[in-house]
Amino acid sequence: MKTIKGRISLSHVLILIFILSGFSLLQAKMLFAYDGHGAQTIEPQTTGPQSEGARIVSKFKYKPIEFTPPKPERLVLDNGMTLYLLADHDLPVFNITTHVRTGAIYEPGEKAGLANLVGNVMRRGGTKTRTPEQMNEELEFIAASVETQIGRESGGASLSTMKKDIDKGLEIFADVLMNPAFPEDMIRKEKDEILEDIRRENDNPGQIVFREFRKILYKKEHPYSRRTIGYKDTIENINRDDMIAFHKKYFHPNNVIMGISGDFDAREIVEKIKIVFAEWEKTEIDFPKVPAVEKEFQRSVNYIYKDVNQAHVVFGHIGIHRLSKDYFPINIMNFILGGGGFTSRIPSKVRSDEGLAYSAYSAFHTPGDLGFFFAACQTKSESTVKAINLALDEVRKIRDELIDDDELELAKDTYINQFIFKFTSSASIVGQMVEIEYEGLPLDYLETYVDNIKVITKEDIERVAKEYLHPDNIKLLVIGDMKQFDKPLTEFGEVNTIELE
Amino acid sequence: MKTFRIRFLLVAIILLFCTTAYGQKLELDVREHTLDNGIKLLMLEKHDVPIVSLRIVYKVGSVNEHPGITGASHLFEHMMFKGTEIFGIKDYDSEKPLLEREDELISKISVEETKGNDADKEKIKQLEGDLKEVWEKQKELIVKDEMWSIYLKNGATGLNASTGSDATYYYCNLPANRLELWAFMESDRMKNLVLREFYSERDVVMEERRLRTENSPFGLLIEQLNAATYTAHPYGWPVIGWMSDIANMKKAEVSRYFQQYYSPNNAVIVVVGDINPDEVIKLIERYFGDVQSQPPPPDVTTVEPEQRGERRIYVEYDANPISSIAYHKPAVGHPDQYVFDVIEAILSHGRTSRLYKSLIEEKRMAVMAHAYGEPSKYADTFLFFCTPRHPHTAEDVEEAIYEELERLKTTPVTDRELQKVKNQLEADFIRSLESASGLASKISSYEALSEWRYINTLVEKTIAVTPEDIMRVANKYFTKTNRTVAILVNNKERKGTN
Repeated sequence: MKTIKGRISLSHVLILIFILSGFSLLQAKMLFAYDGHGAQTIEPQTTGPQSEGARIVSKFKYKPIEFTPPKPERLVLDNGMTLYLLADHDLPVFNITTHVRTGAIYEPGEKAGLANLVGNVMRRGGTKTRTPEQMNEELEFIAASVETQIGRESGGASLSTMKKDIDKGLEIFADVLMNPAFPEDMIRKEKDEILEDIRRENDNPGQIVFREFRKILYKKEHPYSRRTIGYKDTIENINRDDMIAFHKKYFHPNNVIMGISGDFDAREIVEKIKIVFAEWEKTEIDFPKVPAVEKEFQRSVNYIYKDVNQAHVVFGHIGIHRLSKDYFPINIMNFILGGGGFTSRIPSKVRSDEGLAYSAYSAFHTPGDLGFFFAACQTKSESTVKAINLALDEVRKIRDELIDDDELELAKDTYINQFIFKFTSSASIVGQMVEIEYEGLPLDYLETYVDNIKVITKEDIERVAKEYLHPDNIKLLVIGDMKQFDKPLTEFGEVNTIELE
Repeated sequence: MKTFRIRFLLVAIILLFCTTAYGQKLELDVREHTLDNGIKLLMLEKHDVPIVSLRIVYKVGSVNEHPGITGASHLFEHMMFKGTEIFGIKDYDSEKPLLEREDELISKISVEETKGNDADKEKIKQLEGDLKEVWEKQKELIVKDEMWSIYLKNGATGLNASTGSDATYYYCNLPANRLELWAFMESDRMKNLVLREFYSERDVVMEERRLRTENSPFGLLIEQLNAATYTAHPYGWPVIGWMSDIANMKKAEVSRYFQQYYSPNNAVIVVVGDINPDEVIKLIERYFGDVQSQPPPPDVTTVEPEQRGERRIYVEYDANPISSIAYHKPAVGHPDQYVFDVIEAILSHGRTSRLYKSLIEEKRMAVMAHAYGEPSKYADTFLFFCTPRHPHTAEDVEEAIYEELERLKTTPVTDRELQKVKNQLEADFIRSLESASGLASKISSYEALSEWRYINTLVEKTIAVTPEDIMRVANKYFTKTNRTVAILVNNKERKGTN
């Protein structure tokens, strides 16, 4: 159930302090590996346990796990809509998750924020026959939800309802996708709220970091450099007609992949889908050309002043896209470098050995075109340069020296043994198939996953580390109060000072 | 369509069918077993996927601390990942003298430092040098974060821990066949923990505090709100602790804390997933049965005195304004808690909730407005947080919240609003059954606050709340005298206008 927009994280309200959470969302996504053929777990092979405890547990024998993950059915309707279906009668619930090929990358720079605005007002503004108030009341009274959003490179819509309300839920869901009203007053409200969010962005260093890092990494003309919620002036450039046109351009059945799970009869549900989307016609879509990301590596040192006692640090450079042939070895390499939690090298050095940061990690962000590699941490002002050097040294080291056997084993075993957790609910099973197809991955991605991990060697890691890490050509961004730093940032090169908007 | 999913017993075991809107009684069929040493074991079978979600809860949190050691529970939670006598170390016998030498040097440094201006700087330098040497030697023996790697290698997900005011939780999900590994490692942590790398971890926690509180407008505001709300009760200090307390925390204090609170009679184990409860009982008895129980930890006896008038504070920081309001309310177990649950839902769950409709959609004063009224072990507060939309002020949104509270006091909520809350409660319960991990967390948190059975009567008791109950509770608690208001104000702007 979506509660009131959490514009500011309400996690504090829980007054719980979550501790080992050194993972960003990005990273968490990478931590959980999946695979396809039967989810057996494998015996960890430790190259000589180093402690008494490890020696004891290395002798533990486990009963094999036998589990064949359910495979959703794939179906393409006459109107071009792709469906993944997985019935699951355990609980009287029903869920749909949908990907629509669209995104902020397709909006013109002078109207930055258009896609996001369309994604929000589509749901919030009601439809041609349902006022927002009616729709909210109808849905919430039956504990159902319909939500839509458009991000940088994809659009999404979801429905969640109880089994007894499937018909009502589907009807509203289809109505929102096909007939959003985009009323002027709602557009104004949404714009004003986004403007307030923009006003507040600089309040928190954590919200500044990646916004500015993108600007440093990508050329100004490329949509990857822009903020998806837009800017003060570009938001005001957007009018209702732009929004209607944007919706009209991308929301067609042949541009939709839908994952359906829950307590239903497959044949019946397909009929129902056909009925509620009967008016929706297949239409050719002419996608605007998005310029390719330029692959250039040039060192730069960037600094933003903020009156805080802890520096936010990020450094990195252009990386890979999601379909890179080296995706798997790169993931394993990054797991060892800084993506595997405590035992990976960057957190081990920066956090565990030196106590310099609560969160220190590295990751590869892998969108449709070239994404980026980065390492990030937050450390007290007095240890800023020290922490950067420690992390940077690890990036150099993994290029220059072959990794240990047990590091590779730890990474591979983790990916393979965690695989089963990809199948913990029917909703997550169809959800990941929708994503696999949307991203253009082979549809047998899960079936070949374990093998793709298993074949990785130390030499592969060395090769990808050399090819995809460029420690001498990083772009560094530090937010904090330079006067309190342990050493001047000039240590890394000429400092470019950025003024906050 | 063919699906090969073999699921048996799931619904039958988790849900006992009876009567509600769904024709079901919404209950969890948890099996309970208590070991002789006091460990309480709670099990729930869920056989759809061969995984198991595990939790250990220790009923200790910041509420058990006292001034001077605030943050001890949380710092201790970090230490639980540093290993034991047999994990995380090549040879404990060689490490032991180093740990003793560490304590000795730390205490000498501290004695010297307390002399203030008379402190012998040279001596301190010398001692610090010695300490570094000890740490270097120890480093050669340490196997970094070994327990964490062993868990990962075996496919663990959701590895984590959290500390709250009332309890400390340790999380782990594993493939179902790895249960014994968990039992072995966790029982070893309970029996043979070593406070290794204590001082570098203390630094990590200080970084955590800078990140979450000192450089976060929201974190800072909540800390100040609580500090102003409670004059006597330990809920007034932050879970992470005051900076000076963390900075001065000594290993010996934390060690005493461990002895007292991390005892089997203060621990609960929760196991949800593809399990056979009889086998789990045997396994847990085998690994945890020999842990010595301790005298029961002392109760928290401090009671917050009745508030004698509104308290208002302003927190100056370089950020846009945020409002927060706290009203004292009773502890878990008090019948009014169910009324607060309903009030929270009516005020702030979803797009049809009153705060959303009024402050965001109609008055357009705010971009976020949230009410929070979940129970705690001891009397706590019903909270409001709101971020105004410029040029509306923190005081404007505060007034708008009071208007909604007045409405609750004077006008009965409609039957439809109540019915909606009920429908949502039932649906949420059913949805919660999908995730083993979610169920394990739910069972462990209610067990920590009161007992897991609370879950089984929650829906029923909440559904029984009437419009009159809501008016009564609103009139009783949402008074000016009973509230504390904390407002974050932009100090940079202030300087400009003063």
